[in-house]
Amino acid sequence: MNLKNKVVAMLLAGGQGSRLKSLTYNIAKPAIPFGGKYRIIDFPLSNCVNSEIHTVGVLTQYQPHMLHRYIGLGTPWDLDRRNGGVTMLTPYAEMDGIKWYNGTANAIYQNLTYLIEQDPEYVLILSGDHIYKMDYQKMLEFHKSHKADATISVIEVPWNEASRFGIMNTDAEMNITEFAEKPKKPESNLASMGVYIFNWQKLKKYLTIDNDIENSSHDFGKDIIPLMLEANEKLVAYPFKGYWKDVGTVESLWEANMDLLNPHSGLNLHDPGWRIFSSNRQLPPQVITETGELQEVFVNEGCIIEGKVEKSIIFQEVRIAQGATLYECVVMDSVVINSGAKLARTIIPPDLVIPENFEIGDPEGDIILLTQEIIDDWKGSAKV
Amino acid sequence: MKLVAIIDASVKLPELEDLTLYRSAASIPFAGRYRLIDFTLSNIVNSGISSVGVFPSYPFVSLMDHIGRGKSWDLDRRKDGLFFLPVSTKDSAQMSVGGFAALEEHMIFFEKSRQEYVVITNCFTVSQLDYEDMLESHIESGADITEAVSDGKSLRSYMLKKSLLIEFLRNYRQDQVFSVEDCVRRKKNGYEYGTYEYKGYFAIIDSIDSYFKASMELLEPEKRKSLFLPNRPIYTKVKDEPPTRYMKGSSVKHTLVANGSTIRGTVTDSIVSRAVVIRENTKVDHCIIMQKCTIEENCDLAYVIADKNVYIEAGTVLKGTKEEPIVLRKGERILKEEVG
Repeated sequence: MNLKNKVVAMLLAGGQGSRLKSLTYNIAKPAIPFGGKYRIIDFPLSNCVNSEIHTVGVLTQYQPHMLHRYIGLGTPWDLDRRNGGVTMLTPYAEMDGIKWYNGTANAIYQNLTYLIEQDPEYVLILSGDHIYKMDYQKMLEFHKSHKADATISVIEVPWNEASRFGIMNTDAEMNITEFAEKPKKPESNLASMGVYIFNWQKLKKYLTIDNDIENSSHDFGKDIIPLMLEANEKLVAYPFKGYWKDVGTVESLWEANMDLLNPHSGLNLHDPGWRIFSSNRQLPPQVITETGELQEVFVNEGCIIEGKVEKSIIFQEVRIAQGATLYECVVMDSVVINSGAKLARTIIPPDLVIPENFEIGDPEGDIILLTQEIIDDWKGSAKV
Repeated sequence: MKLVAIIDASVKLPELEDLTLYRSAASIPFAGRYRLIDFTLSNIVNSGISSVGVFPSYPFVSLMDHIGRGKSWDLDRRKDGLFFLPVSTKDSAQMSVGGFAALEEHMIFFEKSRQEYVVITNCFTVSQLDYEDMLESHIESGADITEAVSDGKSLRSYMLKKSLLIEFLRNYRQDQVFSVEDCVRRKKNGYEYGTYEYKGYFAIIDSIDSYFKASMELLEPEKRKSLFLPNRPIYTKVKDEPPTRYMKGSSVKHTLVANGSTIRGTVTDSIVSRAVVIRENTKVDHCIIMQKCTIEENCDLAYVIADKNVYIEAGTVLKGTKEEPIVLRKGERILKEEVG
């Protein structure tokens, strides 16, 4: 990459994702397993590498250990480099104490030293919460051709859902006129994807101004964008077409997994032209036995399938015994499902052992996030 | 660890010719996602050995591409690690393990290595041989050379002191002994010969027949469990394949499948490698389908070994037998008319 056009990506991976309940008790949201072998953070990281952006700062705060170990030197994403590569950025102590990241903009502000060292032309701000495949170079070209100071990637959402998102109001040339956070009466259905490109000098300027505003929440959407609009900087919206999903809730995480099984969802992991890279375990091939039955299922390596599985995503080293039935489930790594168990529309977190004849979920019902407590309660009630 | 390992990947296996036209036997795909050499390399690493020399035979690009600097086996070390030791003569391949002429070319590798003992092994024996245990037995027995055996068969792995190997390499011409295996077979005078009895999974892959048999045996749970031991994993160069997709209407039974494949047809008693595509209404029975093969609609295949990148046109019927499976060579395009 031409040094004059150097881009540094800053990936916000500190989110707790509390709406994902027990899945994020011990790990940060970007570390949540997805799609049979991935973690959410594989998507923005792979997008960076596939977009030829090879300098990535990963900002972590909540439960960072798993993420740090997972990313390591960045080898799976080809980010173990002499120049650039991946750098893990955690809150650190200074002369006047430890400063936790307080808001998305504040997290970047606290790492200005890293960015000053890198001295890029452009800064790409990403979040570690979304499942999507995106060529950031195309967005950068858009940013350049519009001579923008900041470009915000937007996606059209159904009008009736627009009030759940941060909405960008634009003029006909895609210039942003207003940012509305979760508007009750949305004027547009262009939702911010949490993907921003800033000219580095402008970003530095407005982060510094924002830092001195006492009642600021130090958020890109709520504070930095309005601040820049007020100062008449040129902000444009880049209309992204393609699959994008915020997997912030149990339901949306389940839906995104199910989207993999739908050939028309637009989410295709089998595209060799845009590979999603991931840290690979060394496991033997999957085994489907005489009694195994699979219909519309993703299966990863190391699994032994003896039961009946339909419309489900099966992670590595899962064992499904003969006589067990699964429908529309997401079964995370190393889960054991014993004989006679019957599960539908359930997310099964890693390492759980499902006892014999355990039943949960309705093929038409709500999405369930299984926990050890639910299993223990069931065992308790079965004894009585 | 007092042991350095030599993998002699230059042994000629004429009965595997169909699979070795474009690669050395060491890089023949096996068990869906491995190459033969993975088993030997993994045994070496699982035995705590950190210095390995690989003697390849031509054409070795495929092997080099596969093992690289040994990263997948944790052998990319500053100290010791993996050494690729090709020899200058193109026809260096021979019938026995541990050819002295080849080893001699890399005398400096042996002279420089710090380890006291050497194990010379091959990559056509798939096993869980523990070289650490073998070394203990070798030292205890007081033998000069120890051969690994199992069930009365030689596993063609040999252990000896490095100093003795160097002595062999200096004198083999006048002594008219041409390899370590040759020396052991002929029980050359003046040395003590020992055997190390290995109990556990093994398969000697030296012909299409033994390759097919060993592959099919992996479908038996007991066999499979004795090869894939959780505490002694088999390592390989990993590709970033997504999970395998079992599509609507597919049926897969009694089959081993690697990642990245898309299955719409019916597969029974088979080994399916990574990134394979099997389309609608196609039957695959007792087959070994290697990576990136595509089998179009309405095919009927039984007892077929399809090497990498084979394309089979829609409607093709190919029936081999258990005794004589049909081998499709790497990259072949099978057209319906041609097999008629």
